[in-house]
Amino acid sequence: MSSDQAVHCVVVTPEKTELDVQCDALKLPMYDGELGILPGRAPMVGRLGYGLMKLKSSSGEQTWFVDGGFVQVTRDGVYVLTNRLLKPEQIDRQGAEEELRKATELVATSPEARAVKERALAQARGKLRISS
Amino acid sequence: MANIRQLDKRRKSVRNIRKITRTMELIATARFKKAMDRAAAATDYTKRITQIVQDLASSGASVSHPLLVAHEEVKAVDILVLTANRGLCGGYNGSLVRVATQRRNEIKEQADAGQTSVSGKRGISAFRFAGIPIEKTYTEFDDQPSFDSVAKIADDLIYRYVSGQVDRVDVAYTKFITSSKQLPIVETLLPFAGLDLQTKSTDVALAQESKIRDDYEFLPNASAILQEVVPASFRARLFKCFLDAAVSEQIARMVAMKSATENAGDIIKALSRTYNRARQSKITQEIMEIIGGVEALG
Repeated sequence: MSSDQAVHCVVVTPEKTELDVQCDALKLPMYDGELGILPGRAPMVGRLGYGLMKLKSSSGEQTWFVDGGFVQVTRDGVYVLTNRLLKPEQIDRQGAEEELRKATELVATSPEARAVKERALAQARGKLRISS
Repeated sequence: MANIRQLDKRRKSVRNIRKITRTMELIATARFKKAMDRAAAATDYTKRITQIVQDLASSGASVSHPLLVAHEEVKAVDILVLTANRGLCGGYNGSLVRVATQRRNEIKEQADAGQTSVSGKRGISAFRFAGIPIEKTYTEFDDQPSFDSVAKIADDLIYRYVSGQVDRVDVAYTKFITSSKQLPIVETLLPFAGLDLQTKSTDVALAQESKIRDDYEFLPNASAILQEVVPASFRARLFKCFLDAAVSEQIARMVAMKSATENAGDIIKALSRTYNRARQSKITQEIMEIIGGVEALG
């Protein structure tokens, strides 16, 4: 990372670059738990889960819902690649419950189908956690 | 004379048509710009994904994924055809349907199974007319295809490929090369060959950066990331096809409407000339009649 004081955070979705900001620290939902990133983090590539991304800056804390994907930390910034970036209030609880119900009902008879089901479950649970 | 009035009527109607085609051209231009911006915004993601894949490859991780492996026996081939929902865009739909049906016939010669999916009302009706059975149809894609709906199609294809229901997936779409050149082509998307494993950066800044080798830490590990990167980059690749098709459609419509407007102008000119000539000859004839009448009286 170029600057020792700030983390340059860029969030990219397949549609566009959603966010390009400087912040003091950020927390990311990894596939197995939260990961905090401070200025000067060693380069890394990681897999994201479904959950809240928190950006801390002098103006306060911002939170976003991250819909899976990856994070790449390089010397000049943190690049978050995700399918969707939503504000927590954009997530509707009923929709998430419906998704969870559908995901639970999926019949998984092969390893591939199980992977699909687990993915759908994780996604729906991640959304539910935030909307409650 | 009835002829004169008819000419004037025709000229008026051509003028109206010109107004309409001109408006459609302007709308297509505006939509083209929007679609183009979207396509440009989407390249960031692809660039980043490529970067991650290259970093993975250069870190010595073996790149293997079910989507990258070609099936030995090709028994089922899916073909996805991306056409427009609306016409009035010159040869856009026609040439794409031609290319797609040709490929479909080739496919059916070697593999009997497999689905034919068509996006766009124009393509759907063209396939129905040709008597080609379609398994899936999509009409929700307009000039701004959303990633969510494309991702659903992509996930479905991934599932079919990985579970062995299909051995190859082809996509017929209009590739955007430059704003003056678009080609209707058929590309094989699965087995996936879109991963660029060579560590070459097109970006100068990135090239300089890569001289200093970064030792990446992989969480949880390189292969688990690869499991996710490959489908993600396939989804992005399919999305790119939809974006290309959307941009090309608007360009085709723009060009078609521009030439229609120009043609209408030419017709108006020709009609005006005939109209003026007919009017003049009518006036001359009337004068001749009057003179003839005066002479007969005198």
